Amino acid sequence: MKAKRWRGSCGYLLTLAVILLGGVLPTFAAEPIPTSEDCLACHSDPELSKTGPGRLPISLFVDQASFQGSVHGFLECVQCHVDATEIPHPEALKKVQCQTCHENAISGAHDLQGGKGLTCSACHGSHAMGPPPQVESVICKKCHAPVVEVYNKSVHGMALVKGNGDVALCLNCHGSVHELRKVRDPGSPVYPLNLPRTCGTCHGDPELAKRHGIPVTNAYQLYMDSIHGRALARSGLLVAANCSSCHGFHGIRPKDDPASKVNRMNVPSTCGTCHAGILVVYAESVHGKAVRNGDAAPVCIDCHSAHQIRRVEGAPWQLQAIRECGTCHEESLKTYRDTFHGKVTALGFTRVAKCSDCHTAHAIFPSSDPRAAVSPAKIVATCQQCHPQATASFAEFHPHADYHNKERFPKLYYTYLFMTALLVGTMSLFGLHTVLWFPRSLLERIRRRRARAGEELEP
Amino acid sequence: MSGSERYYFRFNLYHRILHGMVIFSFLGLALTGLPLKYAETGWGRWLSHVLGGPFTTGYLHRFFAVITFLYFGLHLGYVARLVLKGQRGIFWGPDSMVPQPRDFVQLAQHVRYFLGLGPRPRFGRWAYWEKFDYWAVFWGVSIIGASGLLLWFPAFFARFLPGWIFNVAIIIHSDEALLAVAFIFTVHFFNTHLRPEKFPLDAVIFTGRVEEEEFQREHPAEYERLRVEGRLEAHRADPPPLWLRNFARVVGFSALAIGIILIGLIIGTALG
Repeated sequence: MKAKRWRGSCGYLLTLAVILLGGVLPTFAAEPIPTSEDCLACHSDPELSKTGPGRLPISLFVDQASFQGSVHGFLECVQCHVDATEIPHPEALKKVQCQTCHENAISGAHDLQGGKGLTCSACHGSHAMGPPPQVESVICKKCHAPVVEVYNKSVHGMALVKGNGDVALCLNCHGSVHELRKVRDPGSPVYPLNLPRTCGTCHGDPELAKRHGIPVTNAYQLYMDSIHGRALARSGLLVAANCSSCHGFHGIRPKDDPASKVNRMNVPSTCGTCHAGILVVYAESVHGKAVRNGDAAPVCIDCHSAHQIRRVEGAPWQLQAIRECGTCHEESLKTYRDTFHGKVTALGFTRVAKCSDCHTAHAIFPSSDPRAAVSPAKIVATCQQCHPQATASFAEFHPHADYHNKERFPKLYYTYLFMTALLVGTMSLFGLHTVLWFPRSLLERIRRRRARAGEELEP
Repeated sequence: MSGSERYYFRFNLYHRILHGMVIFSFLGLALTGLPLKYAETGWGRWLSHVLGGPFTTGYLHRFFAVITFLYFGLHLGYVARLVLKGQRGIFWGPDSMVPQPRDFVQLAQHVRYFLGLGPRPRFGRWAYWEKFDYWAVFWGVSIIGASGLLLWFPAFFARFLPGWIFNVAIIIHSDEALLAVAFIFTVHFFNTHLRPEKFPLDAVIFTGRVEEEEFQREHPAEYERLRVEGRLEAHRADPPPLWLRNFARVVGFSALAIGIILIGLIIGTALG
């Protein structure tokens, strides 16, 4: 980097020397080369203009003060306008070739061929050239107005207005402006395979997240460990969801904004852009309907998490999903834990029925709905997934029986009552028996020891 | 130990082997069953994982259940053999396990003795709490065994039983097992081994032999009966050899330790 800059500076000085010499040498020629003063004799007139291609006037005015104050203020006009060697000069002068000094200044997407494209002056201005402008969005807006409009309303754009110095500007994501690449170019920082790393420069920094109250402090790390992150980073899949697949790109909104792609109400449709088949099933389910009605019900991320989405085959996720169901279905989780199924999963093993094995993962309906896997019409087939010999009678086993509930489960209630009475009764009676016996037995032992000691004393 | 002590047989080898099977299978069932019942506790999870997870403990649990059914069958066979030999005394009388009016009288007398209101009753071959232990095992094996079989072969039993029976079986199996464990590891341990007169271990179930003085003290009526009937000498035993006494200590203290640890964990969970 340093060496490159040094080489660049050498080239720059060399070129500068040639130009300066070029400015001196022609003084020996017959016709004197016009100085900047000569040029300004005409071009200091604010009214000076010519008619452009669309019959629009193009101003030919040069503000001497601002030019001389610019970084190029030391140059003579002819050093850039190389064909203006006599006064009056030809009506149409050649375009200024910045590359003469600024070698390879523009490459990539902004290096538009055919002269129609981006000139240096489009961003840097012409005569009043200063250091690169700070507010990129103002510059970029000249060409990318619709995108910048969207950006300005995004979480980043809004933060920028509030004076947030850490906020992502155009070039923070799109890379160096002079070497800017198209999104589909594998070298672009916003190419799908590169995007997570680009977002991660900020969204993998817990300190930055803390500073700006971003709720997920390590989104990048979580994402890279997720099924999406692995598909992208390890398998190199362009179709794997990256940051922008869910959050959008220029118009990223915070999740509590109803227009946000990751707002709770919009999460199913956002995930459904890829997981279309699941969305159809979920939307019909008791959860999907409840969410649409504005009731509290899980959306995709409640079970699958937002960033650290794991393979559903893995035991840790499967066990977590049970607890997740239990955050709303508290009673069902409690009664589930009374059964063999629930106890085995509590021990950390998954080779037994979990919530979704009986209720399905997405097509969840009340048992009264004939579409439900636990409906009377389907329950035997559901049990048979694990218990091939299951019959209708077998399926009468209640996997969520609550033996405390006298109304719904009287048989279980009275069984439990009897068993508890037996336990408490037996243990109380014998507990009392033991408590009474203990001091007596202790006395007996002491008495016996004394008797034996007495025996030994009397030979 | 002076060589002058006299020993009498209280348990024959068959009794001792069967009780050995009871100890082995009962501790095995408790160790492999409790982790499932207490699946949501730290120690339950730990024990389950140490023993190979719920499917391995489930397999072991069934293995110990088979031993339970085996000793239950062997005992019924033993009873049947005695009946066929014409020993009606097993159903009534001083040799019988069947509760008799004398047992209730002795229970009352024993409580009065606890309170210092009377002398210690003169127990026969089987004191009332020993009979209770016996019937508790009889009842426990039947109830836990039957409910366990239901849960072992649900598809088979569902052919002729309604499905809710398995819900009932879960409650019965679990709660009756808790009662069995709680009773054996506290009441039985105290009555037999841990009460100050016996502390820390009564080895008679392992050696089969009871020392004369203890025999007279613990079962005076039985001692008297054998003496009067002139059968005392027929029960005379050699002193238990050292290897047998060591065997009794190792097995006995191990069983006591396992039981006390388990009941400690159960009580700790119930309190905490």
